[in-house]
Amino acid sequence: MAATLELDDIQGLVARGYGGLRAATFVLLRIGDPAAARAWLGALAGEVATGEREERSEAVHVALTHPGLVHLGLPEGSVAGFPDEFTGGMTTDHRRRILGDVGESAPERWHWGGPANPVDAVLLLYAEDHAELERLADRHAGPAALQAAGLAEVQRLATSPLDGTEPFGFRDGISQPLIAELGPTDRPGPPLHTVRAGEFVLGYQNQYGQVAESPTVVAAQDPGRVLPRSGDPERADLGRNGSYLVLRQLAQNVEGFRRFVDQASRVDGQADPDAGARLAAKIVGRWPNGAPLTRAPDHPADDLADANDFGYADGDAAGHGCPLGAHIRRTNPRDALDPESGPEQSLRSSNRHRLLRRGRAYGDPSDPGERGIHFICLNANIARQFEFVQHTWLNNPKFAGLYEETDPLVATRQGDTGRTFTVQARPLRQRVTGLPAFVTVKGGAYFFLPGRRALRFLAELPGAPDQNPSRREP
Amino acid sequence: MPHQVALTIRAPIKPGQAGALKRLLAQMADPAGGRAIPFERMETTHFARLFVLDEVDGGPDGGPPIPASLVYMSDVDAPVWRHLATLVGVGGARLDDVFAHCEGWPSASASNWARVAWLRARRVRADIVYVNTVGRSVAQVHGERRLRQAIEEFLDGKQAEWRGGDPVQIHAAVRRFVAGRPDLRWALEPARGPGLAFRVRSTLHKVGGPLLVLLAAPLLLALLPVWAVLLRRHERRDVPDKPILPNPERLRELADLEDHVVQNPFTAVGVAKPGRFRFLTMLAVMRAVNYATRHIFNRGSLTRVRTIHFARWVAIDDRRRLIFASSYDGSLESYMDEFIDKVAWGLNAVFSNGVGYPRTRWLVLDGANDERAFKAFLRNRQLPTQVWYSAYDDLSAVNVENNAAIRAGLAGAEAPTRGEAEAWLARL
Repeated sequence: MAATLELDDIQGLVARGYGGLRAATFVLLRIGDPAAARAWLGALAGEVATGEREERSEAVHVALTHPGLVHLGLPEGSVAGFPDEFTGGMTTDHRRRILGDVGESAPERWHWGGPANPVDAVLLLYAEDHAELERLADRHAGPAALQAAGLAEVQRLATSPLDGTEPFGFRDGISQPLIAELGPTDRPGPPLHTVRAGEFVLGYQNQYGQVAESPTVVAAQDPGRVLPRSGDPERADLGRNGSYLVLRQLAQNVEGFRRFVDQASRVDGQADPDAGARLAAKIVGRWPNGAPLTRAPDHPADDLADANDFGYADGDAAGHGCPLGAHIRRTNPRDALDPESGPEQSLRSSNRHRLLRRGRAYGDPSDPGERGIHFICLNANIARQFEFVQHTWLNNPKFAGLYEETDPLVATRQGDTGRTFTVQARPLRQRVTGLPAFVTVKGGAYFFLPGRRALRFLAELPGAPDQNPSRREP
Repeated sequence: MPHQVALTIRAPIKPGQAGALKRLLAQMADPAGGRAIPFERMETTHFARLFVLDEVDGGPDGGPPIPASLVYMSDVDAPVWRHLATLVGVGGARLDDVFAHCEGWPSASASNWARVAWLRARRVRADIVYVNTVGRSVAQVHGERRLRQAIEEFLDGKQAEWRGGDPVQIHAAVRRFVAGRPDLRWALEPARGPGLAFRVRSTLHKVGGPLLVLLAAPLLLALLPVWAVLLRRHERRDVPDKPILPNPERLRELADLEDHVVQNPFTAVGVAKPGRFRFLTMLAVMRAVNYATRHIFNRGSLTRVRTIHFARWVAIDDRRRLIFASSYDGSLESYMDEFIDKVAWGLNAVFSNGVGYPRTRWLVLDGANDERAFKAFLRNRQLPTQVWYSAYDDLSAVNVENNAAIRAGLAGAEAPTRGEAEAWLARL
């Protein structure tokens, strides 16, 4: 096993999703006064939860966008190694195409993160219940606290109390990758879901056996040696123990989804609730209780509600249980990615595109307002992980040999593409047509979730007047 | 059915005109710009592209300078002369606009035959050609796409009624449906393969290659240890590039042209390592790889990579440089991942003769397995494919293959077995 993780430096969100901290809010911020913001960040560096295992009654995390780093005073030219995804941001023309952020989901229409409402930082606050969260939020992001920190609030993303169910009514978050280095050293985790820390944390070996590219600054920028030195003695390692955090606000049309499933499963105009529930499960790939269709093709078996130790290659290669284009099969094709190469090679390939999901649902079922998910994922390589999953698997009409369908549940739709969904069956497939989009993107940005030392380094920046975006040097 | 030809035409650009030509190509790439060459009217053209190779002063390897040149590439159904005649005829004044930037392009008053002759005289032979499926013409791809769509729509109307039905009877009903459609009836006949002349030539090549190798075997075996020692010595002295991607402006210039449809073009140019040893090694490797793509990987799968429609390697400038060009499905990121997973050894064998490639061992080991270095190597050599055309940009190579299999399953007078009918219906 490679180096042990420096858990006292890594922000704890990497290690855990805080299932016990049911209340959370994400505060999107803009830096007004860089000097005050640096002081704020320095104080926060001592407060952010780290990855060390301990019982917590609250947790605070902070992450910054590329413009945020520049506004803080990270000087142009001294940084190298931030990938173009991060420096260019989520809203370039090319990224709109691959992420599907067009039409109703175009960044111009976003509540935050679009051209009109950019963000510099996000503060993620977690507590045991609503009252505790209020107190925490007041302390860290109340009007007085923000003013003292030289910050302006762009948007506050409230979340519903965590109950493991997303707004469409399905249990969520069942399948997560396990970080090999976090498990017991004598007992490796299941190969299906165990991946190396370098897939999520910079500075460690990834699934290719390589250490991912990490942003560095010229060593002279760090006279106090707050940061570790990278391989090159002239450079200080800003990225070590950091991760890239993808945040997207995905509004879910719950009513529209129910209506569509009801209409599409009618026989001679008669509603058939069983067929409707079945179609919804086929779209997702699991029953609402979590049971995967591959293992529980006919009914939502309770004893399979947590099942995650399954592949598709053996027994469901044709998609008769879980359809080839179902949501969970697209988000992780497991051992069936490439039937010709076989299950082992497929699994190896699939596991180079895993995401640590940390999102939370928002909106109230009893209230007609917007509902959805504040999708959060962590990865070390945005292009190879988040963007790849989004483009090559979710939004790809050619996924698994299909023709014109995209993810039936979460993909945005454009023109005729994505309007059909095929439920493979013997002898004849059932093709569902006329799919609307059930999800609309309402905001999004790529953040860097620095390690604690990197936060301290940023807090101690001298604050150059230079406000130009930093570019990496070739 | 005709076989497919990888046509490459390269012509030096008049001094000082490369910039203007690039701007023109950018305008042509915009379908609304009204300056595009109407490739869709050239019915035997699968893919086509135009790009500019910038001038190299002093030569990348210390050799003489290389002027800027325009490259036209197309993957076409044989015969090539028909493609060229159509290109000149359909391209008309728009083609003149492009090639007038090159030295010696015939004047406006010259005949079309003069233009064809000019183009033919500038043809460059490809060293390695990969065709996803040899013998499948543009007309066949288009016809089989219509066939599948018609069958799918037919089945949409029957799917409730036929749920749990007998697959053999459903197959028969689809067959009757196709037979009843005058515009689809052709599909009941199996697709014909390439012509006799092509097959004879191909067989001679298939047999002749190994024969030659066999004849030379004693000599080759004797040389092998020497070659191996030299190879390792060269590999240890190689200087791989640092794994750093191009600057953001360049990355965005490339990305702007990518992911507009489900297919993408990839074009790159690299510099061959100097010296006789690398020269001969590359020549031998390219011969061997070309033999393999021609005779082994000619049925939809390049060592399990199923996402490439066409690809080619073309050595230029007395083999000082090498162009790699392909048309593939999906994003560049997924394309490169597939390369690493499935054909790292093959890419190593060819590309490791190029300057800056990630370090290899024994020609085929390591190299592309260094993910970061490999992706940076390709991105740093990638060129913007300014004009690119696909005759079926809504179909993946797997789709094309599946459409052909749907059609193949209709041919023959005998009813399929239950198993065969089930397997056929699973394609829909």
